Amino acid sequence: MRIFQKTNFNFIKHRKIAYAISSILLVAGLVSLFIRGLNYGIDFKGGSEVVIRFEKPVDVGAVRSIMEQAGVNGSVKQYGLDRSFLLKTDFQGDTSKLKALISNSLASRLPDNASQILSVQAVGPSIASDMKMSALKALAAALVGILLYVSVRFEFKFATAGVVAIFHDVLTVLGLFSLLGGLFDFMPLEVDQSIIAAFLTIAGYSITDTVVVYDRIRERLRGQKPSDYERIFNESMNQTLSRTIITSGTTMLSVIVLFIFAGPAIRSFAFAMFAGILVGTYSSIFVAAPIVFDWQTRSKSPIKFRGA
Amino acid sequence: MKNNRFKLILIAVVALVSVWSIWPTYRDYALTQKLKSIRSAEDSLKFAIDNREAIEQAKDKSLKLGLDLRGGMHLVMEVDILDLVEQKAWNKDATFTRVMESVKKESAAESNANIVELVAAGFKKENIKLSRYFYDMRDSDQEIVSKLNGEAKDALARAKEIIRNRIDQYGVAEPVIQTQGSQRLVIELSGVTDEARVRRLLMGTAKLEFKLVKDPETLLRAIQRVSGAPLVAPAAPAAPAVTAPADSSMAAAPVAAALQPAAAGVKKLSDVIGMMPNGQVFTPEYARDQVTAVLNRPDVLALLPQDTQLLLAAKPELTAKGEKYFPIYLVQKTPELTGGVITEAKATFSAQDNQPEASMSMNDEGTSKWARITGANIGKQIAIVLDGAVYSAPVVQSRIPSGNSVINGIGSLEEAKDLEIILKAGALPAPVRILEERTVGPSLGADYIRAGLFSLVWGFTAVAIFMIVYYNKAGIAADLALVLNILVVISVLAGFSAALTLPGIAGIVLTMGMAVDANVLIYERVREELGEGKSLRMAIDAGYNRAFSSILDSHVTTLAAAFLLYVYGVGPIQGFAVTLMIGTAASLFTAIVVTRVLFDLLLGSKFMNEKSFG
Repeated sequence: MRIFQKTNFNFIKHRKIAYAISSILLVAGLVSLFIRGLNYGIDFKGGSEVVIRFEKPVDVGAVRSIMEQAGVNGSVKQYGLDRSFLLKTDFQGDTSKLKALISNSLASRLPDNASQILSVQAVGPSIASDMKMSALKALAAALVGILLYVSVRFEFKFATAGVVAIFHDVLTVLGLFSLLGGLFDFMPLEVDQSIIAAFLTIAGYSITDTVVVYDRIRERLRGQKPSDYERIFNESMNQTLSRTIITSGTTMLSVIVLFIFAGPAIRSFAFAMFAGILVGTYSSIFVAAPIVFDWQTRSKSPIKFRGA
Repeated sequence: MKNNRFKLILIAVVALVSVWSIWPTYRDYALTQKLKSIRSAEDSLKFAIDNREAIEQAKDKSLKLGLDLRGGMHLVMEVDILDLVEQKAWNKDATFTRVMESVKKESAAESNANIVELVAAGFKKENIKLSRYFYDMRDSDQEIVSKLNGEAKDALARAKEIIRNRIDQYGVAEPVIQTQGSQRLVIELSGVTDEARVRRLLMGTAKLEFKLVKDPETLLRAIQRVSGAPLVAPAAPAAPAVTAPADSSMAAAPVAAALQPAAAGVKKLSDVIGMMPNGQVFTPEYARDQVTAVLNRPDVLALLPQDTQLLLAAKPELTAKGEKYFPIYLVQKTPELTGGVITEAKATFSAQDNQPEASMSMNDEGTSKWARITGANIGKQIAIVLDGAVYSAPVVQSRIPSGNSVINGIGSLEEAKDLEIILKAGALPAPVRILEERTVGPSLGADYIRAGLFSLVWGFTAVAIFMIVYYNKAGIAADLALVLNILVVISVLAGFSAALTLPGIAGIVLTMGMAVDANVLIYERVREELGEGKSLRMAIDAGYNRAFSSILDSHVTTLAAAFLLYVYGVGPIQGFAVTLMIGTAASLFTAIVVTRVLFDLLLGSKFMNEKSFG
């Protein structure tokens, strides 16, 4: 089977359209980040999360009102698809007191529907701010590391354009999280540690995708005149297009499986990966390589080839 | 072909080592299933005893599950270095308290800062030499800072040791206790879900003190002086619901709702304490936390006679109507004796009323001191104070020469046992706080395992079928490589006893999608070369050679990202990073070596032809 026989898209010619689309995506994301902010999970905000499961189906409103009357202020949401609920509160003290408060009030108000506390997570504010810092450090270190590696293997222009593409991807996904955060009960899109993991994986995936395109460009560019660059860029991208789409496809396949089967704890992560792969694939074709091309045609200095 | 023989051996070794490493996991599973299938308890016990060695060995070497999958507790605790510094100081005066207060605020804002440096900076700002409060007058600030830093380091190490001791005695399989940074401990307890008990066990500073109880007249006078104190601290914000001191204020928020009606208007301490005809001072149960907080407030402490304090009983007494109340004692602040002298503790039942209690014995120094103290205070009460609460205040009947003492008034035997553990393991050098707590019940863990296995199976099936449909026979080679890849990831996890977590499973599923990338790169290249009219053998050679550079680059960048995730990530995220790293490394091997050898072998046979790449 073969999906892409011989494609002949003129990517470089239409790059301005792609730049415009990317700018709109980025601006929309940034505006949302500025206005709506992010829906932080307890990892980065502090607070407590309790998962409660009931023996029989129960209305979320009933649980909510019981919690309100018990003096536990926070939100109650359906967790997963069974009879479980996720309670979130600012409570940061002795979790055993919180647990007792919850189970006592549930037992007295819903005596014929036994409930069980499945998990309790409590994160203090100082830990939360530490986690935020180390997440930022990890992202920064990853970007610097990738910049260095690609600079050594290719050229600084390629590396910079690659990192620009990573920024583009991460910011776009972050913008999506900001826009859609908290809108869906089955997928809260909270920014927590697992989302940072997703971002780092997206960064790795995005540069991988980009490097494959770069690799082909470099291979074909050797010994060619600058006037042929536009044709070679286009041909290289067309030749790698099949691989790019197939790899994204298989990876997305596994991410979709995660989204469907791995349960509510993984769902936001899977969504981030899904969006990241989509944007990452797009950016390697429409952002990274075109930036190198533009930079190249403007700078007039020939590309210095390093590496294999 | 010689080259190929070496590669074949290499592949065989990798496959064998993987299977050998996964085998105990399978054994463990099979044995557990068998044990479950046996109906009668006797038979299952017999089976367990007969196969004890096999079961234990399999369990020991099998793949470990992370806390999120197995159920258990993950805790991050902080040793209060500030409290330690305060303990070390002498000559404490108002200036000292003021500086320490501001340091406390600073340290709360900047959680990663070195507390000792903050303290030093705080005193420097006020132009006070540290030697005014710490160590010797001749010491320079720098010397004192390094000494205090040493003490802090030592305190963390000791706290870790003591907590390990307590957990070992409590009996948790494979506890993980690690230091993190300069004042934190990370504790992982698998299978434990009774966090209330663990909390008590871990947080109990076990500061045991024997303090002289003041006579009733002094108590009366002291109570009269403090009874006018408002329940709400004067400097505190107006909102009455959150007026308890720092460490309990957050906990109090929901509980305080019950106290709301009582807190309306300015309440005085006298509103919540009462006095009995026999001179005993008490507070009802509902006001306990509040009264404890008020009695520890500096403005209230200042009203009491020199070197005394008011303490509540640890356990309530019952009125005739069955209401609970806590007696209040006025005791000498300076203890006669502290818990450091305790050598042995034992949870027992008392001879008279069969209530649980903890009996203790002392070392030689403690025994002689205890004899002297009891001898000098016959007829007086001595309070046995544990972590600031009075457990019992027996009247000394006679001189006790043996060094034995008893803590009674304990609610349950379980609690007495915990007390025994805490007393035996010794007191923590400084109080600890729980900063982060994650508890997963075993049933949720089982759900996660099921969900994880589902994802693994479906992820693999989807990718494997796609590869065969799209690449025909070459897809089979990629699928074989994929199987080996997954095998290697799981076996490396099991072999290095790294725990498999839910994010780890996600990592494996994700790796499956990305692992075929190398094969896709190669196959697409082979197709191109075939399209240019090359022979199959030449096309395969060219495909592998030309794709190599891309494969290397893409794998190295993914590895770099995963590595950083491992370095900066915490807990479960590290599990994800580890599987991603192993998976990426394995995919480099399987894509470049394994499929290549497969093609070389198949090229000789009639199995492969130009159409084999789809």
